[in-house]
Amino acid sequence: MGNNNAALTRSGSRALMRQPEVHEIVVTPVADVYETSDAFIAKLDMPGVDRDQISVSVEPGRLLVKGVMAVMHQVPANIIFCEIGTRSYVREINLGDGIRYDQIQAVFEDGVLTITLPKTDEVKARHIPIK
Amino acid sequence: MSLIRWNPTRELTGWTNDLFNMQREINRVFDNFFRGGVQADESFGLSYWTPAVDIAELENEYVVKVELPGVSKDDVKITLESNVLTIRGEKKQEKEAKDGNYHRVERSYGSFQRSFTLPTTVKNDKIDAVYKDGILTITLPKAEEAKPKQIEVKVK
Repeated sequence: MGNNNAALTRSGSRALMRQPEVHEIVVTPVADVYETSDAFIAKLDMPGVDRDQISVSVEPGRLLVKGVMAVMHQVPANIIFCEIGTRSYVREINLGDGIRYDQIQAVFEDGVLTITLPKTDEVKARHIPIK
Repeated sequence: MSLIRWNPTRELTGWTNDLFNMQREINRVFDNFFRGGVQADESFGLSYWTPAVDIAELENEYVVKVELPGVSKDDVKITLESNVLTIRGEKKQEKEAKDGNYHRVERSYGSFQRSFTLPTTVKNDKIDAVYKDGILTITLPKAEEAKPKQIEVKVK
């Protein structure tokens, strides 16, 4: 897991996507993306992941989120029913223009990763006074 | 280090990545469909979804794990009635999100419920539930008579 925080080039991020290093099962976490007057907000469901097992990398035009789930079951266990399993999450989100890259914030709570991407002043809705 | 089965396609580069992405997307659509993640009866203001569940049997207990990302602990109710364990609740959409201008909505909102019939050998009064990082873990201890026992057979 050492290269998690390595600077991501275009090819670098692709390499990450191809190599689930811990769990072979990689899923795309479901996401909601919406826009408020000040920011774009992305919410990704990543249940079962420990906060320090999440990496969020940003490069112009692209956001890459990766998370490794903690092992779900003690061993030895007889798995009776399995819809979750132990897995990794990878998701790439394309970003448009008008984002303040230096002010992106990420919060992880109750299995949901919330990424706030503040808008630049140019793309914010403005009120134009009539002279 | 764990052993991972060699997957020859992982070694490939370039266009195959797009193929993997497509495969993942298709898998996701099917997963949602079979898990009942598709919102129903939206026009009536009702929507429900079915959280994914894992159940494991350990030596001394059963462990039920329910995937409930973004659900507040207070919005989950666990009941046990004549040996049927029911997990129900509601996932609410944040107010700020409701007012926003949506680009994508893939997460499920609304009521959810799942029920399981427990074996009679569970200690009903010792059931424990913990919610952490979007996963609800319910531990159901086995009664003494259900635990594996070793009986010594004396051979004469």
